[in-house]
Amino acid sequence: MDPLAPLPLDSSRLRRLQLAGVTCGFTAGAWLGAAEAPTKMVVLGLSPVVISLAMVVGVFLARWSLPALLRGTTAIGADVRQAPHLVVWAIVAGCLWAVANTLTIYAIKDIGLSVAFPLWNANSLLGILWGAVFFNELRGAGWSRVVAVLGGAAVMCAGATLLAVASAAQAPAGHAARGVVAALAAGALWGTMYIPYRKAYLTGMNPLAFVTFFTVGELGMMSALALADRGGVAPLVAELSGARDVLFWLLLGGFVWVVGDLFQQYAAKYVGISRGIPLSNTNQLWGLVWGLLVFGELHGGTRATYAQVIGGSLLMALGAALIALASATGPEHRRWQEAAAREGERYGIDPAVVRAGLAGEGAAGPARRRTWLDWGLVTGATAVFVGLGLVARVPELRLGWGWVASLTVAMLALLGGTGVLLWRTTRFN
Amino acid sequence: MTGRWSAMLRDPQFWVPIAVLAGGILVLVWIR
Repeated sequence: MDPLAPLPLDSSRLRRLQLAGVTCGFTAGAWLGAAEAPTKMVVLGLSPVVISLAMVVGVFLARWSLPALLRGTTAIGADVRQAPHLVVWAIVAGCLWAVANTLTIYAIKDIGLSVAFPLWNANSLLGILWGAVFFNELRGAGWSRVVAVLGGAAVMCAGATLLAVASAAQAPAGHAARGVVAALAAGALWGTMYIPYRKAYLTGMNPLAFVTFFTVGELGMMSALALADRGGVAPLVAELSGARDVLFWLLLGGFVWVVGDLFQQYAAKYVGISRGIPLSNTNQLWGLVWGLLVFGELHGGTRATYAQVIGGSLLMALGAALIALASATGPEHRRWQEAAAREGERYGIDPAVVRAGLAGEGAAGPARRRTWLDWGLVTGATAVFVGLGLVARVPELRLGWGWVASLTVAMLALLGGTGVLLWRTTRFN
Repeated sequence: MTGRWSAMLRDPQFWVPIAVLAGGILVLVWIR
């Protein structure tokens, strides 16, 4: 038997993996959407780039401590030794994220959220293209599923446009062409960022290992951009120091974002980027729910605004449902396995590792215990959050605390339910 | 090890994110 030939998964195993991936996509949307909520507590006139940097610091802490807690650095090290070249891919993906995020800040300033958001939200269409061209996604899927995924993504883009129009508080006067170019570039960067994701997961790397190196690129690039924006180390440190009583909220936003992103990574692994990106793009819907119910945004809005919110939400839900119901079948999954075998052959990776990764199983090996390094990372990250929490100031904002509690319970339920499903199905592989 | 790094540099898929990243940085420099 050819050792590189893909072994088809049995249909019940494939269905369970697809269900886990789709559920991860929806849970990612909920947590990514909620990440904006803590940052709304920051009412100081901080530079947007510095706000991004502070969030990325929270992301960095979470991305080193959560994987250490869930899997341990020894297991992550073993993953990396199987395919060390993927560290470079992860760092490149982190750099793509940081540049895209900074571009969106300028795009919003120049053309407003309502025009900018749909432009960069087109990243899902680019992701579908890369998935099909590079990784055999949607190949052998049958026309009905291809149409459902493409149609679902297009419907979600239309829904996102309506929601963004409703969310736009004001139309800024800026440089229209510059803003459009910035938003389109952000979409291109975010859509392309999923190439390294898919590459890593087809090769057998665990998402918890990938994100620890992704965040090195993210923090490095974001620090460079913030230094360039502020004009050096001293002004940047001075601004961060002056904002220490709100840093907790920004770091918390980064932490919440990481929880969502971890699920997004598993979605990209198990349903591919063509379906994973649109499903996690439901984050816009959750962001709007937080804005409406907790922060009282759009209060006293016109009937047209509410019609846009309801219409946009329904379109996003419809698009996401279409994609969720068009999960990969056996013939398509075999094409994924062919792409994975090609990757393994190109990079000289043990075929057993590649197969196990795609089947949601760990490579055979002894169970690994947590080490002092794991507990050190968790303790260090916790200490930073506790320290900043102690000096944090709660701004005087009127919040819907009942809704805060309800949405938090809903998010925790999604976290717990999806976490258990993912653990039972893949053991976080 | 060396083989993997040279395989990465010869992998056309590697240069797509690199090119897009370079383009994104150029756009950022232009708009600032």
